[in-house]
Order: sequence, then structure tokens, then C-alpha cells
Amino acid sequence: MPIAGEHVDIERKPKLGGGGPGKIPHRRGYGGGDDGDHNEPGGWPSRKEKLRRYRVGMLLCIISVSTLFICLTAVYVMRQSMGRYDPGRKEFISDWRPLHLPYSQLWTNTALLLLSSITLEFARRRMNRESEFYVLGIQAPRMKCDLPWLGITLFLAFGFLAGQTMVWSSLRSQGLFVRSNPSSSFFFVLTGTHAVHLAGGIIALLFAAWGAWVKHRFESRQLVVEVTSWYWHFMGVLWLYIFGLLHFARG
Amino acid sequence: MQERSPITASPVSSRFLRRYVFSTDHKVIGLQYFFLSLAAVLTGTFLSLLMRIHLVWPKAAIPLLGEIKPEDYLGYLTIHGTLMVFFVLSTVPQSGFGTYFLPLELGTSEMAFPWLNMLGFWTTLVSFFVLISAFFVPGGASVAGWTQYPPLSAIAAAGPGQGAGTDLWLVSIGLFCMGTVMSAINFVTTTVQQRAPGMKWLRMPLPCWSWFVTAILSLLAFSILLAALLLLMLDRHAGTNFFVPGGLMVSGRAITAHKGGSPLLWQHLFWFFGHPEVYIAILPGMGVTSHLLAVFSRKPVFGYKAMVGATIAIGAMGFMVWGHHMFVSGMNPYAGFAFSTLTTAIAVPSAIKVFNWLATIYGGKIRFSTPFLFSAGFVSLFITGGLTGPLLAQPSLDIYLHDTYFVVAHFHLIMAMAGLFAVFAATHFWFPKMFGRMLSERLGAIHFWITFIGAYAIFMPMHLLGAAGHPRRYSELTGVQYVSAMEPLQRFITIAAMVTIAGQVIFLVNLFWSMFKGRKASANPWDCTTLEWTLASPVPTHGFGETRPIVSHGPYEYSVPSMETDFLPQDAPATQGS
Amino acid sequence: MAVALVLALVLVTIGCIYLFVAHPWWFPAGVSAYAASVDHEFNTAFWLLGGLFVLAQVALTVFVLRSGRRKKSSYHVGNWRLELAWTLAVAALFFWFHFSGGKVWSSMRLHDPEPQALRVEVTGAQFQWYFRYPGADGIFGRVDPQKYSKPEEGNGLGIDPNDPAGRDDVVSTSLMLPLNRDVELDLRGQDVIHSLFIPAMRFKQDAVPGMTISTRLHPTQLGNFEIACAELCGTGHYRMRALARVVTEQQFVAWLKAHEAQQ
Repeated sequence: MPIAGEHVDIERKPKLGGGGPGKIPHRRGYGGGDDGDHNEPGGWPSRKEKLRRYRVGMLLCIISVSTLFICLTAVYVMRQSMGRYDPGRKEFISDWRPLHLPYSQLWTNTALLLLSSITLEFARRRMNRESEFYVLGIQAPRMKCDLPWLGITLFLAFGFLAGQTMVWSSLRSQGLFVRSNPSSSFFFVLTGTHAVHLAGGIIALLFAAWGAWVKHRFESRQLVVEVTSWYWHFMGVLWLYIFGLLHFARG
Repeated sequence: MQERSPITASPVSSRFLRRYVFSTDHKVIGLQYFFLSLAAVLTGTFLSLLMRIHLVWPKAAIPLLGEIKPEDYLGYLTIHGTLMVFFVLSTVPQSGFGTYFLPLELGTSEMAFPWLNMLGFWTTLVSFFVLISAFFVPGGASVAGWTQYPPLSAIAAAGPGQGAGTDLWLVSIGLFCMGTVMSAINFVTTTVQQRAPGMKWLRMPLPCWSWFVTAILSLLAFSILLAALLLLMLDRHAGTNFFVPGGLMVSGRAITAHKGGSPLLWQHLFWFFGHPEVYIAILPGMGVTSHLLAVFSRKPVFGYKAMVGATIAIGAMGFMVWGHHMFVSGMNPYAGFAFSTLTTAIAVPSAIKVFNWLATIYGGKIRFSTPFLFSAGFVSLFITGGLTGPLLAQPSLDIYLHDTYFVVAHFHLIMAMAGLFAVFAATHFWFPKMFGRMLSERLGAIHFWITFIGAYAIFMPMHLLGAAGHPRRYSELTGVQYVSAMEPLQRFITIAAMVTIAGQVIFLVNLFWSMFKGRKASANPWDCTTLEWTLASPVPTHGFGETRPIVSHGPYEYSVPSMETDFLPQDAPATQGS
Repeated sequence: MAVALVLALVLVTIGCIYLFVAHPWWFPAGVSAYAASVDHEFNTAFWLLGGLFVLAQVALTVFVLRSGRRKKSSYHVGNWRLELAWTLAVAALFFWFHFSGGKVWSSMRLHDPEPQALRVEVTGAQFQWYFRYPGADGIFGRVDPQKYSKPEEGNGLGIDPNDPAGRDDVVSTSLMLPLNRDVELDLRGQDVIHSLFIPAMRFKQDAVPGMTISTRLHPTQLGNFEIACAELCGTGHYRMRALARVVTEQQFVAWLKAHEAQQ
């Protein structure tokens, strides 16, 4: 099938000096979306472009998730001043009972998560160095260099989730359930929603790790780790935010 | 002009399932969304027909369904609203036409994340089936309307359909939120990253601007809705107290599981999503209308930059006006006035758009094809529906008109009718590019005429019903005397609706017949400047292929004085034209 | 095709003008203190927006018609002066209209009722309105529907039988109002959100469970005026009806006394 169909009489052959590809200034932000990184040989152009594309997508995903948590924060703050309405005094009497957080366990979990961010960074940088060998034509030795750090990250992540589960059961053993009090509701909602989103990141990393095992293309694995690392660090920052909110705005 | 492209179209599989069903090709996915919306609009229209018949002939027995009871009516009402707002107006203008044509108009062969694109569609499809399944569970569909205000939506005992029916609604819309966010990520990334060389931001066609802004709105608004749905689900099943206060007696049963929540909190959350949602529903239609008016008037869009600015302004301000749905809710009256001022302000960028549409048509030698008819119809309906907006924005007037048929008239005219006209216009315009054949102009004109007159005949009298105080969401007219006195006008509306709905058969016949037997279309039957028309009709699977266009001009170079032909394609060499 | 479009536009414009000018169904006569100002504001809106409607549809029709006489389209990309002019004009019109209505809103919602106002508590339940008067002691008795509600015994509201203040409370299913006196209506909901809508008095307010919302009313004419529910509350939403009965002060006092004796 012809790429361009019949067309009205405008001349379509690129004119020399009239605006062919070589004439486009390679300035950033000139006009097209990918700013002219398509003229280099080999695999680089599509890799750089692909990385930028996935990073933009990940940024948007992060914005969307942030909006969800901003909304929950707003509800959290508003709920603190709501409660039972007293028609006599025509005002709301708050039913919020501040939660006593199990700080030691939470700090441990925090340390696990932040540590996992660091180990993921190691994995990512390792893979970046490996990929330089790849491009120069020097094959990296077939040991799975990136796997240990990735594996450690996953181990720490599961540790975090296990720790969170322990926090939830310790609250439940104190008789604090999701329905007990608005403060406990929010604790479970905020930490639970964070855990679900973290699990999504874990699935991505598992995919990259499994990919190393079944010898997926190095480039795709690297891309997954690169992009997931942004998400992962965001999850760490988000956790710090949630922890901070639960402590400083405990009501 | 063309050059090598780093983005290639999705690989073509020879297997039927991979090629037409589980395809990552944005063109296939766009068509899938289109047909999903078609199924949704047919279902939603059928439900509204049942509602209209029941209102004036309450004892009528519908074949296969029997007599319609109040809970049935309210169930139809809920699903009608949900289908139309989510699965029609938030789907076909954006995910339908946008998925198909955004990459093409930007000069690229695929969207940023093809696999995510496919996942988004299937999530939306599953969401549709979950929603429809609500009719088939014990208790039937929810009776709380698409707005699902608690405590009605939070307590299963509050009405039939408030048990499993509401749970299914929540799950369905939760899935829809996720599908939409996936699609939105794709749209924004594609627009930011994959414009063809030379396609500066201010050289993008206006539909692309609308799709871009709408995607940003979706990204933000649907996250809010997801949060609200999660909290409502917890209230329903986990005993939390976000939205349900204490001390309730429902149907003689004391509800002791809840205390301390606020129904107003739901309204704030829902409308903080809900108002941007209506702009999500209409902005793509506005973009398409601007585009089509230029094409068929053979003139540039009047005030392109102002149109872009107005689109962004409407999108941004859309987040600041949600309280105008809550003037009567018990919200602080001072807040009410603040929201009213902001809502009046948002009328200004909308008015800019209307002026620019009229100014685009003025001075044009118009080509009266069906897409133009529907675009002109859009302008007419948008003006009519839009003008009652500033009226309803005044809380002193809204006190009376809130939850009456006046509001029903307002949003049906501006969202349903205008939005639908933009969809019809887009369908007629892009049909050749999607299917390689032309729709029948004669059938199109007849369909336009019936639908346009019908839209006014159905919804203009509703203003009078509202002025006379007829509340919304009444399943019968017999409960209140002054309401039953308006039965003759309701009957007129029902008859107008029946005629108009019957007229839609013409569109369906036109659509399906032309897909197989319509006149074969050339690559650029409308002499349009934008990039999708440089490809063959229908668009080949590989899109722009290994190369892609280089853009040297804006998208609306029509009737350029120095030129022989009356349009200059965007990818024409830079030496030509201005 | 052009003919089809022009004809359609002309038809709908004329049809709409007829519909709104003849208005076979329209607002009921206003019988409360702020009804006149609300109606006046609506009339302003009607003429302003109606005028813009006609202008815009006529412009569209004329522009479409004039296209027939052209040989070629003109190449106009815009005119920022014109844009600015009509944007400012529309903004000025809309904001003038908006701020001139501010006083009406203020009188409806931001003014407290006079100290001698009659207090009535309105409770919405599925699918029944209850109107409670405090009786001679002027105090509403405590209400706890979960503990005490027994609609079959006439205590649908659940007034605490142990509360002395509640013994003289008068509960009615009609809203009895004395003429020309400020009324403070306190709205409550027993199960789901309802909305008290009295079209003739231009009054509407949601009755939200978990809150008591105070509003103000001032009837200015004798008669019976229908009340409808204006917030979807379930299957009986369409028949949740009541009557607002405005009577003379003497009739009201007599009615109240007679009902107090029955409690």
C-alpha cells in the first residue's frame, strides 16, 4: 500500500536547501517531540528516545498516584474535625482518637524501604555501566552482575511488606481495626494503599529479575530497572510523607 | 516531506486474534473504543427510552421486561447516566478518536506505550461488562443515580439495588478510572515526546491540544474519584465512617455500624472529580469542532492562540468550581458565593471559543458536507446549553432550579447533545480515513436534521418543567399534584424523544452499510491540511512506515492568498506558502 | 444542505422564542419575602441570556447564509483587538449579572431570622416529611430515632419520652405557617439525604443526616402550597410530598394549641 496516497498538486519531494532533514537545527526544543536524536547510527537513538519516553510516562504515573494521596490527605485532615453533630450547640464534636503508632516497627520498615532504594540505585548504575560495554561491542561476561543488587532490593522490599503486615497485626491485636476509629481507618487506608502501589513496583522488579534469568534482552531489562527506580524512590518519599502525616497530624 | 522515524508502527500479526482483538496497534484500539462506545450509547439510549415511556405511560408493559417499577426506573436512570457520562462522552471523543488520530495528526506511527494502550482498552471493556451485570444481580442496579450520594449509596438497606448492584457499580467505575489513567499517560507522553520534526506546540491541530489538555485533566480527576470510591467501598463493607453519620434509622432498622462521617464529604470529593469530568467530556468535542469549522469554511481557525489559551484556561479553572453543584447541600453560603464567582468566570473562556467559532465561519465559502452540519449544530447547541450555565451559577437562582428539570435540560443540551454532535461530526469526517469509504451525505443530512430538531424539541421544554418546579429523578408524575399537572409537556417530550431516537436508525444504517458498500474514499476527500490525510484511506497498518513527515506549517493554512490551491498541507516544503 | 441547516436554525430559534415567551408552564406565583427579588433576578437572566441566545443563533444563521454569496474564503487568522473587545464585553455582562444577584443570595442565606421567628424542625425520612414545633416551652425535646422511633405509634421522629421538653412538642405531617412571620427552619435527615422544596416560596434546602441546617423563610400569602422532595432518596422519592399551609396568626395559634393538647 502506498504510504502517501494521491494528493493535490503540491510537490512532495524534499527540496535541497528547502528544508530536508539535514537542515533541521539540532536544538533542544526545536519543534518535534524527540528533538532530532534519530541521526546517530546503531542502537543508541531508539534507546535514548525510548528511555525519555518511558521516563515521561513514569512521571505522569507518579503525578497520578500523588493526586490520589493528596486527596486522601485532604480527607484525612477534614475528617479530624468531623464527628457527631450536637444540635443543641449546633457544632460537630470530633470523634477522632489519635492513634498510638508502633514507632520502632515503623522506623525499622522505613529503614528497610530506604535501604532498598539505595540498593536499587546500585543495581541501576551497575546496569548502566554494563550497557556501555554492550554498545562498544564488548560483551559483558555472562554473569548476572545486576542480579545480586536487584535481588537484595527485592528482599528488602518483601521485608518492608512483611514489617507492615506485622504492624497491622499488632494494631489488630490491640483491638484497633479499620473500623474502630477514623484515625485507625486512615492508618490502614494510607499504609494499605501505599503497600498496594509498592507491590506494583515489586512486580516490575520481579519481571526484570526473571528476565535476567530467562535471558531477556539486556536493553529491556535495563529500561525496566531504570524507569522502576524512579517509581521506587517515589514510593520511598511517599512512605516518608505518610509516616510524617500520621505522626505530625495525628490529631 | 519525510525522514526516518524512530517510532515504528506496532508489528502486524497474521493471526486474527493478535491482529484484530489483542492488538497494540493504536488504530485497532481506537476502533475498539469506538465500537465499545457505540454499544454503550445504544444501551444508554434504550434505557432513556424506557424511562421516557414509563413517565407518561406508567402502566405500560414493556415486552420482555413487564411493567416498570420505581426501582427499575431508578436503576435505568443510574446506568443511563453512568454509561453516557463515562462510556460514551469520556470514551469515544478522547479514547476513541484520540487514540486513532492523535499519533497520526502528530506525525508518528504509534502511541508512546502500545501495550499500555491495549491494557487500558481491555480494562475499560471489563468495566463495561461489570456495570451492565448490575442489572442481573438480586436487587438490580443501584437506585442512587450516577452521583451515588451517601448515605443512600453507603447503606444496603436504604433501597433495592443498594447491595450488590452498588458494589458492582463501584468496582466498574474503579476499573474505568484505572483504564482512563492508562490512556491519559499514553496521550500526554505521545504529545510531549513524539511530535514530528517541525511540529511545534503551536503548530498542533486543535483536536491534539484538546486531547492533550483532556488527558491531563483525566490524569488528575480520575485519581480523586478512585480515592472516593475506595472510601465508599470501605464504608459499605469495612465499617469505616467516612461518609455515614451516626443515629440513622433506615426502613425501621437502626444503623449502628457507623457514626461521625459526613455525606457532604462525598459530595466534595465526587464533584471535585465531577466537574473536571464534564470538561473531559466536552473539550475534545470543542477541539474537533474548531478543526472541522476551519476545514469546511476553508479558513484558518480564527484566533488559534486564543483557542489554545481558552482550552488550557477551561481545563485549569475546571478544578476550581465544583461547589456550584452544592449550593443547596448545606455547604457554607460564603463558600457558595466564591464558587459562584469562579463559575461565572469560567464562562469567559467558553465565550471566547464561541466567538472564535462564529468568526471562523464568517467570511468563509462553506463546503456544506455532513461534518460541517454537525459542527454548526454543535455550536448552536453549545450556545444554548451553555447560556443557562451562568444562570445556574447564581446560587440565588440555583436554590430554586437545583435538582429540577432545568438542570437536566442544561447538561443534556451542552454535554449530551453538543457532545454527541461533535461525535457525529467526527465520525462523518474521519470515517473515510478509518474505513476507506465515505458515509452517505444524503442520509447524513437527513439524520442531522431529525437529530438537531429533535434535540431542541426534547430538551428546550425541560426548561419550562424546571421553571415550574418539576424535580429530577422522579419515576412517576403521580406523587405530587403540581408535577402531574405537567404531564402534557412530559408527553410531548416523550414523543419527541421517540421520534428522535427512531431517527438514529438512519445513522446506524448509514454507518454499517457504508462500512462495506460506501463509495471508496481517496486519501484526502476533504482537502484537509493535517497529517493524517497524507496517508491512504484506510490508514495502512504501518502508518507512516519507516519515514515520517516534517512539518513546516501550521495546521490551518486554508485559502492562503498567494496560493493556487485553497489549502497547504502541514508537511509541504517550507518554501511554499507563507 | 445549506438550506437544511438554515431552515433548522431558523425553526429552532423561532420555536425557542415562542416556547419561552408563551411559557405555558412557568414559575408559580411567589409567596415568600424573597420570592420577588429571586423572580426579578431570573427575569434579568432571562432577557440577558435570551437576548444572547437569539443574537448568537441569528449570527450563525446569517454567516452560513452569506457564505452562499462568496466566491472565496477570506484568510483571517485572528484579530486580537476584536477578541479582547468581545471577551471584555461578555465578561462585563456576566459579572455585572453575577454581582447584582449577590444581594439576593445574601438575603436568602446570610441573614439570621428575627429573634421572634417561629422555630420549626423539619425531618426527612424515607418517604415522609415530619414538621415539629417546640410547643409552649419553646424547646425541642431530645430526639433519638434509633432508641425511640415508633412510626406506628405516632412517634416517627423518636422523641425521647423521658424528656419533659418533648412532651409539648407538636409533630405534624403538614407545615403550618403563620402569615408574615419569619420562620427558622431546622432541617434534619433520618436516613438518607432529602431536600425540602417549596416552589411557591422559592425555597429549597437539603436535609442531610448527621447535620442540622438552619434556614429562613417568610411566607407572605395565605394558602396551601405543595412541598416536594428534591434529592433522590430511594424508590419513594417521587411521592415524598407534603403541604405548606399558610394561615393567619390566630388560626395558627389555635391549631398549635389544639395539637399541643393532643400530645
